[in-house]
Amino acid sequence: MAESLSRLLAPYRSASIIGMCKNAGKTTVLNRIIRELAEDGGTLALTSIGRDGEATDLVTGTKKPGIYIPAGSLVATAADLLRLSDFTKEVVDTTPYYTPMGQVVLLRARSDGNVQLAGPSMTAQLAELNAAFFALGADKVLIDGAISRKTLCSRRVTEATVLCTGASYHRDLEVVLEDTRHVVRLLTLPEVGSAALRAAVEKMDNPRGALLAGENGVVPAAGSLDTILRGKAARGAAYLFLGGALTDNALRPVLMSNAPMKGLCLVVRDGSKLLLSADSLEKLTLRGASLRVLDSVNLVALTVNPFSAYGFSFDRRELKSRMAELVPVPVIDVEEEE
Amino acid sequence: MIELSFQQQENIGFRYVLDSLSPCSPYGAERVRALRPYAPAEREELRRQLLNLDRVVRGQSGCAAPLGKFQRVLMTMKDVRRIAERCREEALGEIELFELKRFLIQCAELLPLWNEIQAVLRLDCAPLRDTAAALDILDPEHNRVASFYVSESYSARLRALRKQKRELEERIRRAAGEEKEELQRRRLLVAADEEHEEGRVRAALSESLRPSLPAMLANMDLLGELDLTLEKAAMTARWGGCLPELTEDEAELVGMRNPVIADALGKRGKSFTPVSISLGRGATVLTGANMGGKSVAMKTTVLNLLLCQCGFFPVAERVRAPLFDGIYLISEDLESVDRGLSSFGGEIVRFNQVVEKLRGGFSLLLLDEFARGTNPDEGAAIVQAVTEYLDRQNAVTLLATHYDGVAEHGSAHYQVIGLRDLDLAQVRAELAAAGPEDGVELIARHMNYGIYRVEGPQNCPRDALNICRLLGLDGEILARIERAY
Repeated sequence: MAESLSRLLAPYRSASIIGMCKNAGKTTVLNRIIRELAEDGGTLALTSIGRDGEATDLVTGTKKPGIYIPAGSLVATAADLLRLSDFTKEVVDTTPYYTPMGQVVLLRARSDGNVQLAGPSMTAQLAELNAAFFALGADKVLIDGAISRKTLCSRRVTEATVLCTGASYHRDLEVVLEDTRHVVRLLTLPEVGSAALRAAVEKMDNPRGALLAGENGVVPAAGSLDTILRGKAARGAAYLFLGGALTDNALRPVLMSNAPMKGLCLVVRDGSKLLLSADSLEKLTLRGASLRVLDSVNLVALTVNPFSAYGFSFDRRELKSRMAELVPVPVIDVEEEE
Repeated sequence: MIELSFQQQENIGFRYVLDSLSPCSPYGAERVRALRPYAPAEREELRRQLLNLDRVVRGQSGCAAPLGKFQRVLMTMKDVRRIAERCREEALGEIELFELKRFLIQCAELLPLWNEIQAVLRLDCAPLRDTAAALDILDPEHNRVASFYVSESYSARLRALRKQKRELEERIRRAAGEEKEELQRRRLLVAADEEHEEGRVRAALSESLRPSLPAMLANMDLLGELDLTLEKAAMTARWGGCLPELTEDEAELVGMRNPVIADALGKRGKSFTPVSISLGRGATVLTGANMGGKSVAMKTTVLNLLLCQCGFFPVAERVRAPLFDGIYLISEDLESVDRGLSSFGGEIVRFNQVVEKLRGGFSLLLLDEFARGTNPDEGAAIVQAVTEYLDRQNAVTLLATHYDGVAEHGSAHYQVIGLRDLDLAQVRAELAAAGPEDGVELIARHMNYGIYRVEGPQNCPRDALNICRLLGLDGEILARIERAY
């Protein structure tokens, strides 16, 4: 890799690696980071959101590389996966978190070896696990993010995030480029500044409810997005916070109608709550509305994998250079030698 | 044996007391879940539990420091009972061995604290067993750190395999291409051998732990018992209570309180009027106007007898109580409505079931306003007959009723004090000052919810008439009522 991932991650104590799809090269990236960090010394800690690290991909049945960790590393994984991990294991602690593959336990590797990861999948649990890792002496925590849970890795969980994309996402290079750019945009939406709104969200009884905030203070709102925007309370409101997800379906009637949106800032908890197409996002911007999140993702790099697990590949230089034009973060080719 | 539905347990305030318990350890929580009244045949065990509770209540301030530390260790405990039970027959995995090791370390921390506590409290129970031998098996290097791995010190073969694996790993770090792949293949084979040898060692460890399992399981039992006893003591500290004296058949409860009602009254700035009652074999009749006093007395009595039989201190000043084979409460609750019967029909069905059960042993039976749903003439006749019948059964029965002529069919008669001691002139003056709208509240304030024992024949008190007078019922109507009395 032309630019070292470990150097990009050096300022942060924790990082998550997330993929646009299966076989985007996430494990390759993870192994690369582990190797680079191991050379620097220091104790690494690893876990995943949900399950990862299978020798064969459970979904697509393609062969996958395993995660190989150095002796001294800390690992949080599910009990049933211990027999599939071949490092010499020291059980350090158990956790109150359970996965379909058993209880999550904390281990110290007394040798190098392959590891199968399955960690908790809730933000609060991951944050607590991070704290446990640091208490055990970890210098850097790496979280292997799972497909379709991209933005559980907000800054509340990890300080930095690497997104992986590649040929496995789609046969058409243009689709890979466009969709990746869209995901990067959603992931890197700026955080909302209003302290009053943040305080009001903290106090909400219903985490899926909505709030309107403006000069007249913060008031709860109810009903469909369209109803809220046409209501009296929406007049003069600067922010509309949505506790649930903002979807294309909810937005469609609003975009087709003349509901006033100019100057309005729509706020969601984090990028995972935005199930929006690039088209909707475009129209929203045209109508004068903007999007913000409570917790943003600190995207420090985008990796590209020109080879698809399904047997085709893109021109690696074209993929990398065109991608770099579309996103505001460093783009790294996973298969390129250092 | 105790046939109180969840709803009845809630109604008498028993669930409220149970919900207030917050044991520190999973072993204590297990005991709370399994709480049940002791059978009369378990009298000695109940007495031991009560005396231990008494020692804690009176002595805990003398060993507060070690007790606090003891409870803090309890709070960190996980339930490893199933692991210990599995260990009897199977080889444990590394996580299970880790859990057992942590438990053994906790036992080692608890042992000196236990000795300090016992020097003060002198509880009558099995001692906390020393499990150091088992800990040494899982911690051969005496690190006393709560992490576990299959140490090389258990097996020379394991030591050799790990050395071999480590050397390969060193070479893999520097190798590339085909050489690296070949080394990785070799490493996988060694890792498989390592896993196999670890399995053999774990089986051997599990086997060598087996002789210590009875001591470990006994410690879990003891810790659960202690945890529960400490919680019972905390409950007594919260609401008061006394060491009950266990009798053969009569019950004497002095100055009883009911925590759930007392707390609710306390929140409204009111206080609970303590209830005292003596009950013997036979039927005791409790009468009084329909102003709530009877029900409260009844609930408070059954709650405290139940607490006593479950090994708690009753919330009272002084208690003598027997142990019952069965405790039954018949009250108008939602159960009968759920089953689609009328409330009266439901009571009769339930009463029949209970009568059948009374033959099974010495029982406590409480009937709250039995047959209240029927017309007064029939109702009185039914309750009189039921009282006469129950008075001759092997049971302590308490019946609350507002029907006349029931008391003489039972062995004893209690009455809600109600407005008995009321200074009518003074209340009238207060009423005049307050205005008629506040009259109801004013009367409620003067109502005495305590009960007293009635000697000789006496019918239900005429509080209803007094209430009519106080609230200024139309003079002509009042005159007619007085004539009818």
